[in-house]
Amino acid sequence: MIRLRGVTKTYQTPAGSFAALRQVDLEIETGELVAVVGRSGSGKSTLLNMVAGIDRPSAGSVIIGGTSIERLPADRLAAWRGRMVGVVFQFFQLLPTLTVAENVMLPMDFCGTYPARERRPRALDLLARVDVADQADKLPSALSGGQQQRVAIARALANDPPLIVADEPTGNLDSTTSEAIFRLFSDLRADGKTVVIVTHEREAVSGAGRTVTIADGCVSPDRTAQFA
Amino acid sequence: MAPRWQKALSDIAARPGRSALAILAMTVGVFALGTLAFKMAILSPVLASMYGHTRPASATLSTDGVEDSVVAIARAVAGVGDAEARPTIVARVRIGGAGKDEWIPAILFVVRDFERQRIDLFKPDTGTWPPGDDEVLLERSAVRVAGAAAGDALALRIPGGDERALRFTGTVHAAGLAPAWMEHVVYGFVPWTTVARNGPHRESAQLKIVVAEHELDEGHIHEVADRVKAALVARGHEVTRVEVPAPGRHPHAAQMDTFMYLLGTFGLLAFLLSSVLVASMIHSLQSEQVRQVGVMKAIGATSRQIAGIYLAQVGMLAAVALAIGTPLAWMVGSAYARFSAGILNADVSGSPFPWPALVLVIAAGMIVPLLAALGPVAMAARVTVHQALVEEIAPRAFGTGRIERLLAGIAWLPRPLLLMLRTAFVRRGRLALTVGMLAIGGAMFMAAVNVSAGWNRAVNDDFARRRYDLTLRVAQERPVDELDAILATVPEVVRAEYWTGASVYLIGASGVASQPITMLGIDPASTMLNFKQSAGRWLDDGTPDGVVINNAVVALNPTLRTGGRIGVRFEGRTHEYTILGVTRELTPQPILYACPPVITAITGETGKTARTMRIVTREHTGDAQLAAANALERTFASRGLEVAALQRMEDAKKGILDHLVIIMVILTLSASMVVLVGAIGLTSTLTINVIQRTREIGVMSAIGATPRTIAGQVWSEALLIGLLSWGVAALLSVPVTWALQSVTGRMFFRIPLELTLSFSAAGLWLVLVVVLSTFSSLYPSWRAARLTVREALAHV
Repeated sequence: MIRLRGVTKTYQTPAGSFAALRQVDLEIETGELVAVVGRSGSGKSTLLNMVAGIDRPSAGSVIIGGTSIERLPADRLAAWRGRMVGVVFQFFQLLPTLTVAENVMLPMDFCGTYPARERRPRALDLLARVDVADQADKLPSALSGGQQQRVAIARALANDPPLIVADEPTGNLDSTTSEAIFRLFSDLRADGKTVVIVTHEREAVSGAGRTVTIADGCVSPDRTAQFA
Repeated sequence: MAPRWQKALSDIAARPGRSALAILAMTVGVFALGTLAFKMAILSPVLASMYGHTRPASATLSTDGVEDSVVAIARAVAGVGDAEARPTIVARVRIGGAGKDEWIPAILFVVRDFERQRIDLFKPDTGTWPPGDDEVLLERSAVRVAGAAAGDALALRIPGGDERALRFTGTVHAAGLAPAWMEHVVYGFVPWTTVARNGPHRESAQLKIVVAEHELDEGHIHEVADRVKAALVARGHEVTRVEVPAPGRHPHAAQMDTFMYLLGTFGLLAFLLSSVLVASMIHSLQSEQVRQVGVMKAIGATSRQIAGIYLAQVGMLAAVALAIGTPLAWMVGSAYARFSAGILNADVSGSPFPWPALVLVIAAGMIVPLLAALGPVAMAARVTVHQALVEEIAPRAFGTGRIERLLAGIAWLPRPLLLMLRTAFVRRGRLALTVGMLAIGGAMFMAAVNVSAGWNRAVNDDFARRRYDLTLRVAQERPVDELDAILATVPEVVRAEYWTGASVYLIGASGVASQPITMLGIDPASTMLNFKQSAGRWLDDGTPDGVVINNAVVALNPTLRTGGRIGVRFEGRTHEYTILGVTRELTPQPILYACPPVITAITGETGKTARTMRIVTREHTGDAQLAAANALERTFASRGLEVAALQRMEDAKKGILDHLVIIMVILTLSASMVVLVGAIGLTSTLTINVIQRTREIGVMSAIGATPRTIAGQVWSEALLIGLLSWGVAALLSVPVTWALQSVTGRMFFRIPLELTLSFSAAGLWLVLVVVLSTFSSLYPSWRAARLTVREALAHV
């Protein structure tokens, strides 16, 4: 599913060039739930950005589902991302001027993945799956943090992408809500999705099928945990 | 450089797009104010002195002689400061070369002594000075009208004689005359001994006087002029007319006032709008600096120091704007001053550099942006460290307002469009400001087009109500039967009417006969005039003493009403008539219409002879009128009758429209300045919106929006703002149009134009606003589309 070969990412800063990733090789199979862990500034978010097609490597190749995404032009990369990757952010990032259902329908609009008349029923189905169907016509500002993150997950699933990436998805949530969110990710894995989560949460690490540790831009040997 | 000033400079460099926009907004303000200030500073002193330096006549008396003895009588009258005889010969000059038979009016001023002029002074410009007996000097603005070059022989048809050629040997500058190119007349100056004076009935004997004191008091001038007239009459002379022009007013002062009014209004509006725009931009920029303010305060900066940094930043931007805007304003302002001077036949080439205006522009260009920035900067500087760094400064939640709830209820639009629509309404203050600024520009633009359409409609309508094609005047009274017989031989002519006329004085509200007006005798059954009545009715046979006055008469005496009485004085006798109605016509000339017997009763004429005839031609196009005019010239010449004047209505109409073209150009250019401010405002708003929505754009990108989709969103937002502004502008343009049409109508013709709204104005602005919105969105769209997801999501 995901294959990173010799991926290096270097940023130019006023202090000189800074390598966020160094010669990273990584393979993640379809249906895996992988937790990416590491200290602050270790490069885990950069790694996630590579996997999600949010950023491009300075060197090396990123092949997702057989597509070498580092070579895609911006327009095609955006379209590819919309169909292939569902992104969940730490701060939810719901668009405040759209209702909950509209937020979920938006990726379908962008990518034209479902006929227009099917988009709202699908959005409602997805919202029901994450237990916020009753909030469908509210604006995000009316929802709690946990509810907003559930909506964000529903949005990530809008185009039924095979890959879900989440950057600190529970970083802003209490422990009870966090548990519920991780259960959702487990369910997604059970449905055959590939899930990559950047997290600090112990529960996530323990619940992941595999943990990738990253330090100073390099991936350490895998530590595989048994998914409970 | 101290770090804090380095920060001020670096912030500008770090945001080149926004800095450029701020500079542009300030530059437009400097440009608008500078153009106005430079133009007025160059023109005003010239205007103030120029007309006065020509020593304009306080009054002109038409007498029966211009001998030195007549002048001496006038000079001896109490209150007269000086007097000079300045006979005029109203002739016609041939234009377009010998092969052509097209003649236009020419006025030859006969000068007693070129070296010792006393009144209505003029100066040598080029060529010979003074001219010889068979030479003529042209007013410099008349050279183009005459189509002549120095040394040419000008063919003139002089009343009472045959054609005579005068050699054009030089030019003069007569600043007191309206420019010849605007009046469609050739002004010439000839010596006392000119060959053009040979023979009888060649000239109008005119005696000009200036009063010794109270030269701007019209009532006093009338009193003195009446005393001169009485003195001349007492010595056996005849005085047929006394004219008192508006004291101290150039003949084109009304036009100049209109230009000043328009430029002033639009210039100040553009300046004020750009100031509001600058304030809004600085407010937006400051809101992004909150965290930095917190950091600076945390490390010891005071509010005053922080305010100093940001005010210095504004000062730097203002200095750049001044450096760009001031030279531009000087170029346009001085060009505009030259153009305006041309309308007044003035010369500003010797005008000193307007240092006070430059100081004003620099002061305003620095102070106004700083004042505009003071509020936002003070607000930002007062933010506490805790507020800036710790407290969550959350934007107001969408959905709390009525409009937002309404928008949230719209679900049938495509999501990207819905997103754009709702986002635009989140920051309603900014939206309102942008829409407002663009709408004001649009309203001005539409009003300019509307005013143009209004003028065209008014002029065309007025001429359509004068259902004749030519006005022909022969040099001497001829029997109507004879004239009829001649006209019958011209196949191009369908019919003609002979209106009687008299020059009388209107008895004003004070009971004094002061203003000269024209009385025209016209058969009530005539279909040649079909004026719109603004009150009452047209002439009829049933009211023998009934007259109809035009709006220009009412302007002279606003107490005149339909059903009331109007008094006129003719050759010392007062006559009173009943006012049947008031016509609405587009002329500054006061006219009183009456049945022909009313006129012949006071003039003692029989009505069986005439000099002037209104002619209807077979076809009514400009070419047909010209062909008929040429045929009439030839026919009258072959019968030995001299044509003193021949005016084509299409030519007269063109003359008026030519005057108005200038107003339209000024109006459109002035409106463009306001439109420019609006466009900058739109670009600024879109850019700031893109910046503030950076994370949102990142999210959209992350969930599949392509750069094209995002750029399309920005463009849609620009279009939405543009279309909203179009709606507001369309509404706003109605009162603006009404005001401009009223003001310019009153200035030119003493009558407000009827409100005319042109659909093409709304259509044209719609197209322009779409183009403008598209251009305004180019930079923000590009900026939004090139954001990478990572950068966008990392944006704080």
